[in-house]
Amino acid sequence: MKKITILKYLCVLSLFVGCTENFDEINVNPYQISDESLRQDNNHVGAYFPTMLNNIFGDQIEHNLANESFTRHLGTPTPFVGGVNNTTYYIRWNTYWNRVYGQIMAPVRQVLEIAEAENNEVFAAWAKLLRVLSTSRLSAYHGPIIYSNYGSTDKTILYDSEQTLYNTWFAELDEIVDALTRNQDFGGMSNFDDSFQGDVGAWIKLANSIRLQLAMRLSKVDPALAKTQGEKAISDAGGLISAVDDNFYIKNYDGFFRPARICFGWGDTRMSATMESVLGGYEDPRVSKYFDPATDNTLYPDHPDFPYKGIRNGAELVAKDDRLAYSTIASAFQTWPARRCFTSSETHFLLAEAALRGWNTPMSAQEHYETGVRESFAEWGAGGVDAYLQKDESYLPLNYDDPKASGDVNDFVSRIEVPVRWDEADDNEVKLEKIMTQKWIAAVHNTIEIWVDHRRTGYPKLPYNYKNDSNADWGVIPDDDFLRRMPFVNGERNNNPDGVADATQKLGGPDEIGTRLWWDTGGPNFP
Amino acid sequence: MKLLLTILTVLCLSTGIMAQRTVSGTVTSTDGDPLIGVNVLVKGTTSGTVTDLDGKYTVNVPDQAVLEFSYTGYTSQEVAVAGQSVVDITLEEGIALGEVVVTALGIEREKSSLTYAQQSVDGTELLEARDINFLNSLSGKAAGVEIRKSSSGPGGSTRVVLRGDKSLNGNSDPLFVIDGIPMANNRSGQPGMWGGFDGGDGMSQINPDDIESITILRGSNAAALYGSQGANGVVLITTKEGKEGPAKVSVSTGITFENIMLKPSLQFKYGSEGGTKESWSSTPGNYDSGYVDDFFQTGLNQINSVSISGGTARTKAYFSFGNVNARGITPQNTYNRYNVTFKQSTKMLNDKLTIGSNVLLTNELGRNRPAAGYYLNPLTGLYFFPRDRDFQSFRDNYSVLDPDRNVVGQNWFVIDHHQSNPYWLLNEQPRTDQTNRMIGSVTLDYQISDKLTVSARGNYDFASKLREQRFTSGGNTTNVHPNGSWDYHKFTDELIYTDALLNYNDNFGDFSLGLIAGTSYQKSVYGLGVSVDGDANNGLLYPNEFYFQNLPTNVQVQSTLSSRLIKQAVFANATIGFKDMLFVDFSGRNDWASSLAGTGNESYFYPSVGATAILSKIFTMPEAITFAKVRYSSTRVGNEVPYNVVNPQNTINAAGSVNRNTQQPFENLKPEIITSNEIGTNWRFFDDRFGVDFTYYNTVSTDQFINLPAPSGSGYTRYYVNAGKIINKGIEMVVDVTPIYTPKVLWTTSFNFWTNDNEVVEMHPDLASISTGESEGFGSRFEAGGSIGDIFVYKFQRDAQGRIILDGNDGRPLKTAMQELAGNLNPDWSLGWNNNFKFGKLGVNFIVNGKFGGVAFSQTESMLDGAGVSQRTADARDAGGVSVNAVQNDVAVSSVDPELWFRAIGDRNGIGEPYVYDRTNVRLTQFSLSYQTNLFNNSPTTFSLVGQNLFFLYLEAPFDPELAMSTNRNATSLDNFNTPATRTIGFNINVNF
Repeated sequence: MKKITILKYLCVLSLFVGCTENFDEINVNPYQISDESLRQDNNHVGAYFPTMLNNIFGDQIEHNLANESFTRHLGTPTPFVGGVNNTTYYIRWNTYWNRVYGQIMAPVRQVLEIAEAENNEVFAAWAKLLRVLSTSRLSAYHGPIIYSNYGSTDKTILYDSEQTLYNTWFAELDEIVDALTRNQDFGGMSNFDDSFQGDVGAWIKLANSIRLQLAMRLSKVDPALAKTQGEKAISDAGGLISAVDDNFYIKNYDGFFRPARICFGWGDTRMSATMESVLGGYEDPRVSKYFDPATDNTLYPDHPDFPYKGIRNGAELVAKDDRLAYSTIASAFQTWPARRCFTSSETHFLLAEAALRGWNTPMSAQEHYETGVRESFAEWGAGGVDAYLQKDESYLPLNYDDPKASGDVNDFVSRIEVPVRWDEADDNEVKLEKIMTQKWIAAVHNTIEIWVDHRRTGYPKLPYNYKNDSNADWGVIPDDDFLRRMPFVNGERNNNPDGVADATQKLGGPDEIGTRLWWDTGGPNFP
Repeated sequence: MKLLLTILTVLCLSTGIMAQRTVSGTVTSTDGDPLIGVNVLVKGTTSGTVTDLDGKYTVNVPDQAVLEFSYTGYTSQEVAVAGQSVVDITLEEGIALGEVVVTALGIEREKSSLTYAQQSVDGTELLEARDINFLNSLSGKAAGVEIRKSSSGPGGSTRVVLRGDKSLNGNSDPLFVIDGIPMANNRSGQPGMWGGFDGGDGMSQINPDDIESITILRGSNAAALYGSQGANGVVLITTKEGKEGPAKVSVSTGITFENIMLKPSLQFKYGSEGGTKESWSSTPGNYDSGYVDDFFQTGLNQINSVSISGGTARTKAYFSFGNVNARGITPQNTYNRYNVTFKQSTKMLNDKLTIGSNVLLTNELGRNRPAAGYYLNPLTGLYFFPRDRDFQSFRDNYSVLDPDRNVVGQNWFVIDHHQSNPYWLLNEQPRTDQTNRMIGSVTLDYQISDKLTVSARGNYDFASKLREQRFTSGGNTTNVHPNGSWDYHKFTDELIYTDALLNYNDNFGDFSLGLIAGTSYQKSVYGLGVSVDGDANNGLLYPNEFYFQNLPTNVQVQSTLSSRLIKQAVFANATIGFKDMLFVDFSGRNDWASSLAGTGNESYFYPSVGATAILSKIFTMPEAITFAKVRYSSTRVGNEVPYNVVNPQNTINAAGSVNRNTQQPFENLKPEIITSNEIGTNWRFFDDRFGVDFTYYNTVSTDQFINLPAPSGSGYTRYYVNAGKIINKGIEMVVDVTPIYTPKVLWTTSFNFWTNDNEVVEMHPDLASISTGESEGFGSRFEAGGSIGDIFVYKFQRDAQGRIILDGNDGRPLKTAMQELAGNLNPDWSLGWNNNFKFGKLGVNFIVNGKFGGVAFSQTESMLDGAGVSQRTADARDAGGVSVNAVQNDVAVSSVDPELWFRAIGDRNGIGEPYVYDRTNVRLTQFSLSYQTNLFNNSPTTFSLVGQNLFFLYLEAPFDPELAMSTNRNATSLDNFNTPATRTIGFNINVNF
């Protein structure tokens, strides 16, 4: 027995010596997928794409409490942070940056490393296209951003000026379109592409449409470059997103439509007062596609036949419950499958403006304007477009009354005085206002570009904030003006201070919310 | 059960036929003087007597009994009755130097030779209060042990911290050891500010009646032999075993009642105006004030246990069955536990080989444990409810049918993420947590010679756990999907431990040598299973069907593994003694940890050294000094890092795509190092009737493992470094006194005093702070130069005269631009005062616990003020304003409108300053009154009246700061709609035969 015990002891001891070899395996999570395993079915490149696409759009604080409010599309009933927040021009949240860098820039870099090593130019082009798309949206918030120096391990990482950014994006779009055009028959994207099911041609149309969009941003600050790039986009053999079938939608990878969660799940967003004013005044048939009627029929005594009620942006709010009975977004959005990111109506409104600006366009300004409206109606399945296009000065946006606030609080008088109907005799300024007003209506749930347009052209003539809490902390916005940009993010201010200081130089003004971006010249719309 | 009854019957019968006899005698000192009040105990039982004024005793005992004679200041003696009827005894003076205590790995050592602090608590002391989780009963019974009980009701977890928080990034939980073998003490989910539930912990599954004693090794010094897992101290649990002699049966049954002792002070005088969810009307009304009290019920705990034990010289066995049936103070909250324990040992081969085994089985079922925090907590809706509305209708009709869908949903007056119908939450979101656990161990000891022993042990600790919550559709839209949500986690926790020890003891003249060499292997696999996260985004396909088939494609069924770790070690310890008066201790250990695989640092060594001098043996001491010793020890312990950070891989997300790993692989990872030094001294005076044990320690934690955000341009989002330094230093003092010691009356009292000073000396240049719980209005976080548990709040802006500055336009109080330090959530010092009285057959025990200094923070009070439902807001409205010393536009202001004031300071974004309270509190923690008499078979039967957490002698905060919202490091001494503190009163009967 003694021998057996000692033997057992030796066995135990020998078990321990030299059996640390499986330590590597023990310390790896078996329910995670390795880079090696991802090589099967090209997942090591392709599997990045759904995640990147899912992060082109942000969520509540990135859009709903930022550009959706600045463009007066949706209004919040909630007095967040004591009613002093982004929507009243005091910055509390500023996080779109982190999403773009964490979820787009980082994976694009990894895709490019793999795709370039393996000569897979379609995946490389696709990744670059998503990078141009998302960073051009991010730059619309901040102006200069980190782009060409991304990935640097230096302590200070310099931002690119907006001029450099646009030139870089145009050059990258050249490469992207060339590469995609060379590989029109490539079938490898289909597993990862819920937007176009791997149709390379559809992505070329998107690339051309983005070029047109970016070119138009520069129409005032650099008209020559804008025209060159715009006409290049228009004339490319690959074409533009010009019909509903071409539309670029991004699937709800989360399984839900984010604005619906904000609206129905959290009760934090409602129709805006401006939407009530414009859709009500124009008697726009799309209203029922966008919004549900208010659930309290005492809220709209001023227009009983139009049962909708919106919330003023930058309103004086006391209790969240006060305005929960106002119009929600349409219930249909709760099961909506995808979010619109670039649609044919936007292209036609861009072309309408291009025609006004003397660019070489397929049709006249009026034809593109009316086609833009028709495409939007078609997209939403709304009827009565012919009658709508004939609405004259007797149908103008309504003045707004907030039934939950006493006296004049939150009320406004509409500044929009253009009707829907096109009049070729109007001057360019009026025509542009009509185009921008219709572009604004059509842009529901995709409002970054109309935020750009509004700052660039001043149209549509949106109401100002009722409550303006801007102060020296983030910059002062005059009561008859709008927030012009988002500041650089705190993480960068703290960790990359020299980079931010240099970016502020490139911005050409203080790092404040009132500083105009490069393309927001403040000058006249037409020379 | 049938088997149990059979065993019971057989054992009862066998005990019944034992012959009894009366034994008497006299106990004297070596001088021949009679000794008064000597304890005479029948060994292995609790029956016995004490000697009278003449030193005489009479006791009724079985024929084969062994009598134990013990007397403070004298060496105890044992005498076998062996048929005698007169047993006279002479006791020798002198402290029992030979007292043997259990130390690390279950190794028994002479207490006087130890070089570090340790303190033991007898199992019977833990049973006095009849707490379901025995750890709560440790409070105040040992120095340096911070106990925080979860506010989650019966079966909740407990936080134990020995000598302060030692880690920057995680818990500082001690290691729990049963009979020398480490056990898993995994804590289930914990609530945070935003909500959640406590799911109990591993220790709440142990039957307190099985515990013989608990020994606490506070420093890492004591734990060198357990390696890194003992770096935060060790709690050694020794379980009961059978004793030589006739079979004995012990039956205990008790029932305790639990009632609220402290809840927020609410107003029911002012309602809401204009349909708001806040009650800010200034017109008093006559409103229902009883629904909050009616919501709670009397908690009830029934605790039963039966044990049978006995043995022969060769074989001993212990069997027990325990059962707890409890209901909490919130409706639908129940807790049931069943424990079965069987322990035996047998000697063979001329008594040289001992084979032992121990099996502990537990079945635990908790239902609807109370929540804390903002979300899905019935208390938010209950407290906030606007006073002018009719609560009764919402209680009676908590659900309402949606006719369009033919689905029921909750009936509540508002859609608000902070509140729901309390009765809906209780009835329509049933939550279950269930554990089936088996701890089985086998021990082999072989005595090769008188000097050399070899032993081997193996232990398997396996638990199968289920945590499930079924959210009915139509619940709070922030948290529950319109079709309902299913939160399901089923997993196993497994810990395999084996070790082998060689133990050698010898004497060389004046020198003694004790050598221990050993090796151990431990593998833990925790959280292996399957889970489904149920929330507002993860819904069901068809409403209210809770199973896998009913999950839509965007809801993932996840394979889970929270941690998998292998640790191997070789270790050795040598103790050299000189004339039993000087001892030097050396130990060394080398660990190999799988979590460091690939770093080149997977093997690491750490040593410790200690020394003890027994002054009372070296020097001649005055007669008053019975015993004196000084000790010193110094230890370094390595702490391995978490699983799967060296080389993390990519994850598949709910969208079916891949989330690429964005954490930089950490290939230079090193173990964290904790270096501990302690110095102490023990003195005993006046024939052992007065004793002092004093310890000073200094513990330095370095190379902490820190997770940092990576720069925007780096291509990664997180990376890790080894950095940081934390110092904990403190004093522990235990004083025990026996003021009265007579045959009829006995009073023993002890004081446990301790203080710990925690300093985060440095963190990492890129890391400003680490959060341990926050909301908009406050932050519990620590920074370099601060301490773990620091709390930061917005304060009032004040002018040079200290007046509160009001906004120039609307008159609301202004808050500081930044959150400012408001104190630390840990007490400065603690004192436990434990008393035992015996008046013949009556016994009284009470414990007073005091915590002094530090602060506590109540988000609850802030929220209640903001909503206008606290009594404070009603008082202010009664008085027509809040009295303040304030200034507006350079004009002094003495009164502010209550709504303006409380909306500004209250709610989530308010001014935290008024809600920071001194956390000092003194309470009667425990009181028991017992009557013991010998009944069946002349064995003791005890009736006792027990009370726990009876009342506060002093309290500043409006809640109990010792009740933890979460028992991990976060949110201690923070109240955010925690279940109110309770008082427990009940009775217990213990019968032995």
